[in-house]
Amino acid sequence: MNWLKLRRLWRPAPLKRHYDTVIIGGGVHGLATAYYLARNHGIRDVAVLESQYLGFGGSGRNTAIVRANQRTAENVRLYDEGLKLWRVLADELDFNLMFFNCGSLLLGHSEASVGAFRMAASTHNLMGVHSELLDPRQCAEVIPGLDISDRPRFPIQAGLYHPPGGIVRHDAVVWGLAKGAAERGVHIHQGCEVRGIDARDGRVVGVRTSLGDIACNRLGIMAGGYSTAIAAMLGIELPIHPLTIQAMVTHPLKPFLHHVFSSTAYHVYANQTLKGEIATGAHMDPQVNYTTDATAYYLKHQAEALVELMPALRGVRFMRIWAGLADMTPDMAPIMEGDLGWGGLYLDAGWGYFGFKSGPVAGKYMAEYMASGERPEVLKAFQLKRFLENRYSGETAAVMKYGHWD
Amino acid sequence: MTFRLTCPVCGKRDVYEFTFGGQERGPRPAQEGLSAGEHFRWVQFRLIPGGPQREWWYHGQGCGVWFRVTRDPATNREVEGGGGG
Repeated sequence: MNWLKLRRLWRPAPLKRHYDTVIIGGGVHGLATAYYLARNHGIRDVAVLESQYLGFGGSGRNTAIVRANQRTAENVRLYDEGLKLWRVLADELDFNLMFFNCGSLLLGHSEASVGAFRMAASTHNLMGVHSELLDPRQCAEVIPGLDISDRPRFPIQAGLYHPPGGIVRHDAVVWGLAKGAAERGVHIHQGCEVRGIDARDGRVVGVRTSLGDIACNRLGIMAGGYSTAIAAMLGIELPIHPLTIQAMVTHPLKPFLHHVFSSTAYHVYANQTLKGEIATGAHMDPQVNYTTDATAYYLKHQAEALVELMPALRGVRFMRIWAGLADMTPDMAPIMEGDLGWGGLYLDAGWGYFGFKSGPVAGKYMAEYMASGERPEVLKAFQLKRFLENRYSGETAAVMKYGHWD
Repeated sequence: MTFRLTCPVCGKRDVYEFTFGGQERGPRPAQEGLSAGEHFRWVQFRLIPGGPQREWWYHGQGCGVWFRVTRDPATNREVEGGGGG
């Protein structure tokens, strides 16, 4: 059909047996890196290998929230640049990413979290990021449905309001980047599972895939939660736990929730999608795994937590639940590394909860790193060796107590 | 889907009764001559290829025993006959 032909965003390319650069992972990080390699550095002989379909992993399973109110200066700087990139990208890719900067409100439920908010807001303001501390009454002015009484088990004590945050349509980001990369000559191969990595004389020389062997000069592992399994093919140990995190949506409601909100004590974040559903994410299962298992346990947890915070949601039904992988590091900061003991090998992983919001900006700097071989200044805080030198990022001082693995 | 783990005392129980204790890494390396880097590597670094691995679990909402079990991160299930001990 002609109509379909016109709307096709990218075309399948023939699988070559050699590429200058191969990127494992057809999600936001891999596609963004490929896009910037071609756009900023003229490296167009690039293949993106995706074992399933584009956006199968975390890129299509997150709750689409973007923000730049992390705890440490080096993280805030990176995410702030990332947040500003969405508009630029939408324009550049000529694709509507449906960026809705509705603002986000993080709720604190203890004296400790109020103190942490105050310190976080100071960091944000110092970094030029709009962020302010709200009292419970102001929280209810921003989001009228919140229960700010002392009825909930953990009453709301304060809010950290971050107006530049919001949501971006995650599928659109994947498709837009794929379109932009393919237009610049990048080959995208879906259904191409990497089963082994070939290395010779201390350099990576290619990958073995379900579609045959592919030689390369440079290899990027950017497979989100699956990166640990791929690094294991070369025997590379990483301080990363891949854990499933669950998310769900309710049936569509009239627009009433105009901000993203999240809670430090209830381990909940929620926003109303443009379709009207309440999209909400939950805490994670603690055991390492590579599945997308969702459980009734968290469905119940989520219902209880949401109704505590916003009693009007009682009786609203969940329509769908799904899970994706979060690749957790001990310090809640990512690992962007080109010094892994194998020449030509690069890793962009360990993004934990933050893989989606960081995708394009991470891709931009990983492309610079891979093209030049020189570590960009911005990435110096995210080296793997920090874990061997006891120089952890301070990101765990963010108010959320994420889990037990740290 | 949730799954069940075999506690050596209580038998098969829902996984949410347990706390994950991480991969079995053998004994703590000898302190003598241990560099900080080697120590951090032992504490934090893992190889998780996917496939059966020995793990520590704690039956916190049951009998309170720490035990080892064989589970496969690729399937997120206990490997049949891998429980207990």
